[in-house]
Amino acid sequence: MWAVFVLALMGGLLGLGLAYAADLLKVEADPRIEGVRERLPGYDCGACSYPGCSAFAEAIVEGDVKDLKLCKPGNNTHYDAIVDYLNDNRNPDGSKITVKK
Amino acid sequence: MSWTVFFVAIFSSMLINNVVLMKFLGVCPFLGVSKKTGSALGMSAAVMFVMVIAAFVSYLLYYLVLVPLEIEFVQTISFILIIASLVQLVEMIIKKISKKLYKSLGVYIALITTNCAILGIAVENITRDFAGQYGLFPGLAVAVTTAFGAALGFGLVMFAFSTIRERLEGANVPEAWKGVPVSLITAGIMALAFAGLGGIVG
Repeated sequence: MWAVFVLALMGGLLGLGLAYAADLLKVEADPRIEGVRERLPGYDCGACSYPGCSAFAEAIVEGDVKDLKLCKPGNNTHYDAIVDYLNDNRNPDGSKITVKK
Repeated sequence: MSWTVFFVAIFSSMLINNVVLMKFLGVCPFLGVSKKTGSALGMSAAVMFVMVIAAFVSYLLYYLVLVPLEIEFVQTISFILIIASLVQLVEMIIKKISKKLYKSLGVYIALITTNCAILGIAVENITRDFAGQYGLFPGLAVAVTTAFGAALGFGLVMFAFSTIRERLEGANVPEAWKGVPVSLITAGIMALAFAGLGGIVG
């Protein structure tokens, strides 16, 4: 009985502590990474050779990816959505991220 | 209790009972992150942070909560819970401080959770019964010192091994032995060298 109680209490306290720390130590990331990630299929399959969709989205926004077809499960709906999104959201200096689909 | 206890604790857990080469704990990061000296040192610093704090918290948790409530059997899972949370914290801190280090350590940061050296030291501090030998709070100091020494030993071995591996990159190694095989043999020879230190301090 005590075991359950103690473990639950520890889990709760540590979880709250981590939530607080996460808020305190938040790293400002480019919001477009999140935008691109939402438009990817989201299988985290790794077929693009990046470790998961988040890493792929980050690489797209940083301009390391030239061809969206690297994303194997994706189809034209996904590719078009990403190209449109990147056209609408340009770099701070006004230049555009160009990717093929 | 005199100061020599702390000296012996650091010296023996760093060199004589080295976590990696004598107890064979924490071999996964030892082989995984030792390709570059920079990331090896970053890993050692992260492990030291987690190991010392985990030893401190787990010792107090064991003697102040688990023993009075007679639930020592949740020792392993509660220690893992502490270590896992600490690792999450370290991951956030590293991400905040150095994006480059975060990238070069990669998945190995999360794998500190399952780094058996950290759980091993936390559990060993209990099984070696420091609290019985020295009393509750002096025992805590010895336990934390032991963890610090073990982390220093881990760092020393990581640093030595990574410099050797950097030299191996340019060495003329037979084709079949390139990469991991020659690293494993190097690690074995290092373990032999460390075995020579055995028995210096009781």
